[in-house]
Amino acid sequence: MKSIELIRNFLNARQDIEATKVVPEALLADLGVDSLMMLELIFEFEDRLSIKLPHDLKSPKTVGEMVALMDGLIASQKG
Amino acid sequence: MNPRRVAITGLGLVSPYGGDLTDFFARLTAGESAIRHLSTDDQPQPLSIPFVSCPAFDADAELGKPLASMMDRFAQLGMAAAFTAWADAGLPRAADAGSRDHWGVAWGTALGGTLAYEKGYRDLWQRGRDRLPPLTVLLGMNNAANAHISIQLGLGGVSMSHTVACASSAIAIGEAFRRVRSGEAPVMLTGGSDVPQAYGVARAWEALRVMAPGDAKTSAAACRPFAADRRGLVLGEGGAALVLEDWEHAVARGARIHGEIVGYGTSCDHSHLVRPEVAGQVRALNATLADAGLAAADIDYVNAHGTATAEGDPVEIAALRAVFGERAETLPVSATKSMHGHLLGAAGAIEAIATVLALREQAIPPTANLNPDTLDPACSGVDHVFSGRHGVSLRTALSNSFAFGGSNAVLAFRAVTR
Repeated sequence: MKSIELIRNFLNARQDIEATKVVPEALLADLGVDSLMMLELIFEFEDRLSIKLPHDLKSPKTVGEMVALMDGLIASQKG
Repeated sequence: MNPRRVAITGLGLVSPYGGDLTDFFARLTAGESAIRHLSTDDQPQPLSIPFVSCPAFDADAELGKPLASMMDRFAQLGMAAAFTAWADAGLPRAADAGSRDHWGVAWGTALGGTLAYEKGYRDLWQRGRDRLPPLTVLLGMNNAANAHISIQLGLGGVSMSHTVACASSAIAIGEAFRRVRSGEAPVMLTGGSDVPQAYGVARAWEALRVMAPGDAKTSAAACRPFAADRRGLVLGEGGAALVLEDWEHAVARGARIHGEIVGYGTSCDHSHLVRPEVAGQVRALNATLADAGLAAADIDYVNAHGTATAEGDPVEIAALRAVFGERAETLPVSATKSMHGHLLGAAGAIEAIATVLALREQAIPPTANLNPDTLDPACSGVDHVFSGRHGVSLRTALSNSFAFGGSNAVLAFRAVTR
């Protein structure tokens, strides 16, 4: 599954947010992602993609930044 | 500050019958049981017990998915009951900044978010997971329900959870009452919620040998308080809430007043964890009468704790006889747990609602599954309500809650004179 699809699925299941609103330039805060939900989102990524995000992760601000972060980690950890 | 009168302006319930308060009380006075047989596919030993659940409750529909997903089921039931009570009181959910800085919540729960922790244990030990979802602590914490209620209703005063086993929400209501009466809080949202069908919790209760047996055919009549053939209690899930309000505050805004809460007393048996004592219950009953400025002769109905355990029922009747003397013979007493089950941390609240509705409707719900022929002689000496009574004259009533640990709580209510 592509990273953005995972974000869309999570936000739809968790917040009833339509997929069309989850675009790269959208601010995560505008989609209702607070610090607590970011923890849930990270947990979901780690679980679904079998990757480990670092504890000192700098929180992304937009969907696009989140996707870039995830894709980078997938590439580095899965080689 | 002079003591204030305390009005009950909102009632809210996730009813085990699935309907509203009117439906709930009609079914209670008709003696209709909400108890059903619960069977699960849990391993190694499935649950097969009489139980009371709220099958019609859809948390996503009631609360919205974003809010519901932040809560364990006990907090969902509590939040839904609180929203209903708040609407019943005619209070808007949103308020002007600062206007509710002294309004608060006192909530009862015996178990808290047990389901969240149980899921965590299963994930770790059954499914071999190496970590838990980050919300687990926030779903499981005992103060989750009152925290969410304070947030959703913008209540800036005290936000407390009370965990006193079967007396949790009676004590929560009593503590809320004191805060309104003292003038500390003009409005308090109070009540309780619990979800005892977590597998480990239900099995733990089974091990105490206090749960009534029953199958698909017999579960509805499994709970038989005061009957010679009683076999024990029936657990259930639920949420029940009341809005307590400074009387003048309620009148000034034109609120409908369901009834008045006039007294609260507590005590501890200080003798045994599970064996109740007459003397401790007498202290709580007398403390409540004194707190309310009432005499025994003023009480027209007692909603009993009445769990249908072998030891508990005769002790409660003995305590009532000790306090009420000759009056006990004509004092109407019923145990509505025979129909809505034992909701643990929500028990005191659902029974407080039943008592307030009895005063408001001038009708008394019965103890189901009890008749003169089955009455245990050890439980005689009061006017047991074998079938619902309508058109009675009720001025004041008590609701008893007696908990494991020996904690006792009694609440006194008065009808609104029309």
